[in-house]
Amino acid sequence: MAIHNREAFLERLAGRLGRSPRTAGVERPVWRVHPQKDVLNGLTQDELVQVLEKQCKVIHTDFRRTDCVSLSQVLGEVIEAYKGNQLVIAKDERTEKLGLTSYFEDLRKSGKAVHEWDATLGKENQVIAEKADIGITYSDIALAESGTVALLNDQNQSRSISLLPRSYIAIIPKSTIVPRFTQAVEQIRKELTAGRDVRSCVSLVTGPSNSADIEMKLIVGVHGPIEATYIIVEDK
Amino acid sequence: MGIKIGSPSFKERVQQGVDNDFMRNAVSSAQGRFRSGKENAAEELGNWEEWRTLGEEIRSHTLENIDFYLHQLSEQVEKHGGHVYFADTAEDANTYIQDVVKKKNGKKVVKSKSMVTEEIGLNEALENVGAEVVETDLGEWILQLDHEPPSHIVAPAVHLNKEQIRDTFVEKKGYDSTSRPEDLALFAREQLRQEFLSADIGITGCNFAIAESGTVTLVTNEGNARMVTSLPDTQITVMGMERIVPTWEDMEVLVSLLTRAAVGQKLTSYVTSITGTRQEGEVDGPEEYHLVIVDNGRSKILGTEFQSALHCIRCAACINVCPVYRHVGGHAYGSIYPGPIGAVLTPLLDGYEDHQDLPYASTLCAACTDACPVKIPLHEHLIRHRQIIAEENKQGPKMEQLMMKGFAKWASTPAAYKLSTKMARTALKPWTKDEYISNGPGPLKGWTDVRDFPAPEKENFRSWFKTREGGEQRNGNS
Amino acid sequence: MKVSLFITCLCDTVTPHVGKNTVELLERFGCEVDFPELQTCCGQPAYNSGYLKQSKEAMKQMMRAFKDSEYVVGPSGSCVAMLREYPHIFKDDAEWRQSAEDLAGKSYELTQFLVDVLGITDVGSTFKGKVTYHPSCHMTRLLGIKDAPKTLLSHVAGLEFVPLPLASDCCGFGGTFAVKSPVISEQMVQEKALHVLETEAEYLVGGDMGCLMNIGGRLRRTGEPVKVVHITDILNCRD
Repeated sequence: MAIHNREAFLERLAGRLGRSPRTAGVERPVWRVHPQKDVLNGLTQDELVQVLEKQCKVIHTDFRRTDCVSLSQVLGEVIEAYKGNQLVIAKDERTEKLGLTSYFEDLRKSGKAVHEWDATLGKENQVIAEKADIGITYSDIALAESGTVALLNDQNQSRSISLLPRSYIAIIPKSTIVPRFTQAVEQIRKELTAGRDVRSCVSLVTGPSNSADIEMKLIVGVHGPIEATYIIVEDK
Repeated sequence: MGIKIGSPSFKERVQQGVDNDFMRNAVSSAQGRFRSGKENAAEELGNWEEWRTLGEEIRSHTLENIDFYLHQLSEQVEKHGGHVYFADTAEDANTYIQDVVKKKNGKKVVKSKSMVTEEIGLNEALENVGAEVVETDLGEWILQLDHEPPSHIVAPAVHLNKEQIRDTFVEKKGYDSTSRPEDLALFAREQLRQEFLSADIGITGCNFAIAESGTVTLVTNEGNARMVTSLPDTQITVMGMERIVPTWEDMEVLVSLLTRAAVGQKLTSYVTSITGTRQEGEVDGPEEYHLVIVDNGRSKILGTEFQSALHCIRCAACINVCPVYRHVGGHAYGSIYPGPIGAVLTPLLDGYEDHQDLPYASTLCAACTDACPVKIPLHEHLIRHRQIIAEENKQGPKMEQLMMKGFAKWASTPAAYKLSTKMARTALKPWTKDEYISNGPGPLKGWTDVRDFPAPEKENFRSWFKTREGGEQRNGNS
Repeated sequence: MKVSLFITCLCDTVTPHVGKNTVELLERFGCEVDFPELQTCCGQPAYNSGYLKQSKEAMKQMMRAFKDSEYVVGPSGSCVAMLREYPHIFKDDAEWRQSAEDLAGKSYELTQFLVDVLGITDVGSTFKGKVTYHPSCHMTRLLGIKDAPKTLLSHVAGLEFVPLPLASDCCGFGGTFAVKSPVISEQMVQEKALHVLETEAEYLVGGDMGCLMNIGGRLRRTGEPVKVVHITDILNCRD
């Protein structure tokens, strides 16, 4: 049994509340108000992109917008700007879908190291990510209000890719942009109720890492990536 | 470390705080930034009061059913490969974690910021079983090197200046660059990166545990919590038992309130929701996961009029608006939980004996109650504490107890009351000069040590009212 | 309209002119003002210090005194806020519960009464001078009166209004706090005084004599010429 001391503990709590412990029959009420559902309500995808772009300025994140045809070019420009020679990318069907497979091949041919996350290599992936200049992932859900990329991590879209390398690039398919965290949670809960197990990690990433712990001066770039770019791709 | 910090004398701690010019400027400036950040964020939403109402509803329902949700949480964590330990006391929690560390032969532990682990004194317990503990939140790492306690829930090192931080780095870590914050932070990045990569065990706190899926959500800006939960093979989450919500929907509402109320951000750089061990095929994440749920006095608060104090989401909005905090700083409170929430919680968790002064370190201005994103009536809790101390425990100063008895008599005897209004001016005449008193007697002395006191006016109200033309006088039972 | 004056023990003892101003103001707008002689103190000094039992003695006396009043109006946000707490304090007391509800239901702070009940925004007074306003904590946060005083001041002829920096921060009075915690209270009142001086106002005005005596007493101690007046001094000024 992996749970210890639960019965006595919960009996004590319930006793303080004047009753015996409950393991069933508690219904979460319908809350009286839900202001979160009204935020950015009714905006079109393009309007959400505009909100996202504006927010990027606040969170020290570079913003690029393109379509599938020009994606590799724009991606190349960002990689150049970040002086990237060692890249780590998520293993993802969207690479093929967005026409990037051959682009990454070309990068390799030009002498850059492009490591696609390979679960069979175990911890070596982490070592590679740690040494990488740039980590590239696809955004599963993007939150316009806060400029956030929600990554539903798994063995291919692994956590380290957006965490260990010096710089981070998120490729955001336009159709996946939602107003805010509320809608992302709706999607996640839909999956849960449909029987899909919760992921071991869901990472919400909003720009590069930062801290204001020293004299309240904002420093961009602490433990996570020191810089970040979002590339919005018209994916209709 | 435990809850208590600093010297045992409240007066001493207050004086130290008041005398520390740098700290006071730093705190004042930090408060200003946090407050305007929160105000702007709230204004942008446009309906902040509705959000507060929702926040209060969620927390209230959750605490009323805390046993149910903790049960659900533990079932879910186990389902996802984790171990759950329900710790009655700080010692129990520490012993369990020590056992885990010993079993894994853990030599290096990396920690992300967690107030509850400070409360239970975890770091010392780990060192006692031969593990090296490294705090990885920038502010907490600085304090660890300095052997100092935090002075603010969200910005723990706010009381230190960059020169002091540089000195610490030089002395403890052989740093040899400037005191520019960017250089200091880069050094911390390099140093702590090595620690993350070589750690056996990662320990985090918990901003919000989600009962429906056994998930723990962590809210940071630096990326250290992500490192701590992705790299080591063994991971432990320590959570205050009240830090729980029913569903993901509730979590996102409270995270939204937290990030705005704390620092005026829509979301922090990283909001990370982890569940149990890593799954089949995953490289990142732990292979062994433990959740330690800590009571340590919290259950005593359940079922009392103080129960709403457990609604706290540790945003520090109350600390950021408190003028008392602004002038004395966090360490003056003698607790790792400073400010208004500290004054409310500390006597409840650690007893009244050492913390009797805290509920009185307030003018009851209610700025804290106003600021709280989940509507905890903080100033009312302070009054209740005072009632317990003064009336129930009879711990008030003897002089004060006598005076209050006199007050009750005076205020319920109109004849005595009326006489005092007539005689006040005459009684104070010996100390009056130019219609003011600068050196008053008895209870007035505390006042006149700091400011002048006006002499009672010559013409008494009642005589004026009686003798004026057309003035009506309602005579009660006199 | 029959109105009973709640003068507050502080004004009764130290600054009766505030009571006089209040009576004259109310009468000017058609109120028939009486003064229940049995009133004493709202109980706040004991209540806030944690002496509930003793504070209740004062509170019962107040309920007796205003038993027959239609409206109870007082020139202090803090004291009226205390009256409004009576229902909560006596909620389990079968004997006094109704009286507490009654008193709380008919009690008003003066500016609130003028604006919200009598519907007056311009009292027709003149007051020449540069004035800054300190919004006392209990008036704004416990009674929720944020606009009434400023509305009234905005219509005073000759008055130049200048906002007070960090106005909503407590002045450090807090009743007994000022004498029990002099070190912290001093810091708070000094900060408030400095903000007042920043405005270069000739007058500091407020709705609570406790706060004004605190800030005014400090300004005088530090040799500053800023004059401190109660809002009724301005509203009742016809010169």
